[in-house]
Amino acid sequence: MFETLSTILKYVFAIIIYIFIYSIIRLIYLDIRSMSAKAVSSSGKHPYLKLLNIREELPFKVEEIYILDGNKTIGRSNDNEFVIKDPFLSGRHAEFLLKDGMIYVKDRGSKNGTFVNNERIGSTEVCINNGDRIQVGSLSFILIKDE
Amino acid sequence: MKGFTKYFKPIYPVILINIIGYFLLYLYRQPYEQATVFSGLAVIALICITYALIIKLMLGDEYLFLIVSMLVSLGIIMLYRINKELAVKQILWLALGIALFFLCYFIYTRFAKWDKLIFFYLGGALGLFVFTMAFAKNIKGAKNWIFIGDFSIQASEIIKVLYILLLASYYTNPEKLQINGLKLMGREICINHKLVFIVISYCHIGFLILQKELGTAFLLFAVFFLFLFVSGSNVWVMAINACIASIGGVLSYLLMNHIRVRVDIWMNPWADISNRGYQVAQSLFAIGAGGFFGTGLGLGRPDLIPEVHSDFIFSAICEEMGVFGGIAVIFLFFIFVYRGVKISLMAKEPFDKNAALGITLMFGLQTFIILGGVTKLIPLTGITLPFISYGGSSLTTGFISLGFLQAISNKY
Repeated sequence: MFETLSTILKYVFAIIIYIFIYSIIRLIYLDIRSMSAKAVSSSGKHPYLKLLNIREELPFKVEEIYILDGNKTIGRSNDNEFVIKDPFLSGRHAEFLLKDGMIYVKDRGSKNGTFVNNERIGSTEVCINNGDRIQVGSLSFILIKDE
Repeated sequence: MKGFTKYFKPIYPVILINIIGYFLLYLYRQPYEQATVFSGLAVIALICITYALIIKLMLGDEYLFLIVSMLVSLGIIMLYRINKELAVKQILWLALGIALFFLCYFIYTRFAKWDKLIFFYLGGALGLFVFTMAFAKNIKGAKNWIFIGDFSIQASEIIKVLYILLLASYYTNPEKLQINGLKLMGREICINHKLVFIVISYCHIGFLILQKELGTAFLLFAVFFLFLFVSGSNVWVMAINACIASIGGVLSYLLMNHIRVRVDIWMNPWADISNRGYQVAQSLFAIGAGGFFGTGLGLGRPDLIPEVHSDFIFSAICEEMGVFGGIAVIFLFFIFVYRGVKISLMAKEPFDKNAALGITLMFGLQTFIILGGVTKLIPLTGITLPFISYGGSSLTTGFISLGFLQAISNKY
């Protein structure tokens, strides 16, 4: 009784272990693919913000590229689309708006301000174009937009 | 919620393995004991709670603990089959290990001055060496156990972790080991920090060899050598170190009897099969008897191998779960090392990078050394298989290192 059961279950055992290994490797693979997918889609048709700071020198987590495929808010608190733990950013710092293929940016009442080409902007929307510099906190970005 | 179930999936095979394993073990032990069921439930509960906490509190990389939980499950099932009392103890060690895992995680994330404590690591390791030399008792030919009441602690396991931290903090601030303005016979001399570091490393290895802890000595040398390579040292520095190691190896082969015995067994275990070669020969028989899928849990005779619960547990796994089970264990260590290297690559602060690499190298090389030993690929040196072998010190220090790795993975 025990012998037959153990003999059958040893195959089940091996199969389960390999299913486990497969699922881990699959998740790791998806992890890698989602990282490279980010880089690929950034070269696609969406406009994006490119970081001008040297990322390795910043003491917090920040991406090289932020894709603007919709309205996006930026700030330190977790309810923003772009969460960056920069101490010079406000909780809700600024917002990027997409209207009819144009991109607008507005400040959301931040302490240290939002700058477009070194000019401080207020809570009114400002249109930005390809190559414009946007500064928030200690970070500066350049807007890349295919015409 | 959908994302939660998706991430929860890989835990199911681990639970299933445990359920099948303890079901078989319940039938295997006559008369039927409820303790088996409770042990199984305890292991499953520990694994599930830890995994849920890692996911809920977002403690970083979740694959690391998944892989380790599978290894621990396989280890405890095998231990339970070999020796029930040891397995129950191991479950208690697992609980302690997981508690230490979380503790180390939080300490590592809260405390920022790890790279400044280089002399503390050095002092701790040397203190342990002196203490073991003076007070330790001799167990199984290795003089490195500290007794506190009824408990025994294997000092070399703690020294391993301290050495990794020492390495990491040295490569973060190398100038700390520079000795300047040393007065010797009226002249001021400066000793380069590289030389000081190499001497310190060889001191560690020398002490371990004196304590007859050959496996750990070889492990520390391998980690040290790989760190020289990774840090981009001069080719000549590496060549000189390789020469010193080879000369040291040959000298210890000629001078020390127990090393000569190990090498002789490795060359030909069949020459003295009834005595000195018995252990390795039995291990090879066990692996051979298993075949592809093994004999099945409880149907083999792994108890014929001496020390099967600690060093030779891989042979027992191979016998009862087959070559496929053995390869699965190796595979699991492979992906573990892969994750560790990836964490090290993603880390930005040098100390985190070095510590993650050191811990990963330690686990990977330790696995290689003991698996090579039991399969007669390299001479056998007594060292545990991380997370699988029986051993409180080994399991808890394994989880401490894992806690550090987990903390580093969450920082970036």
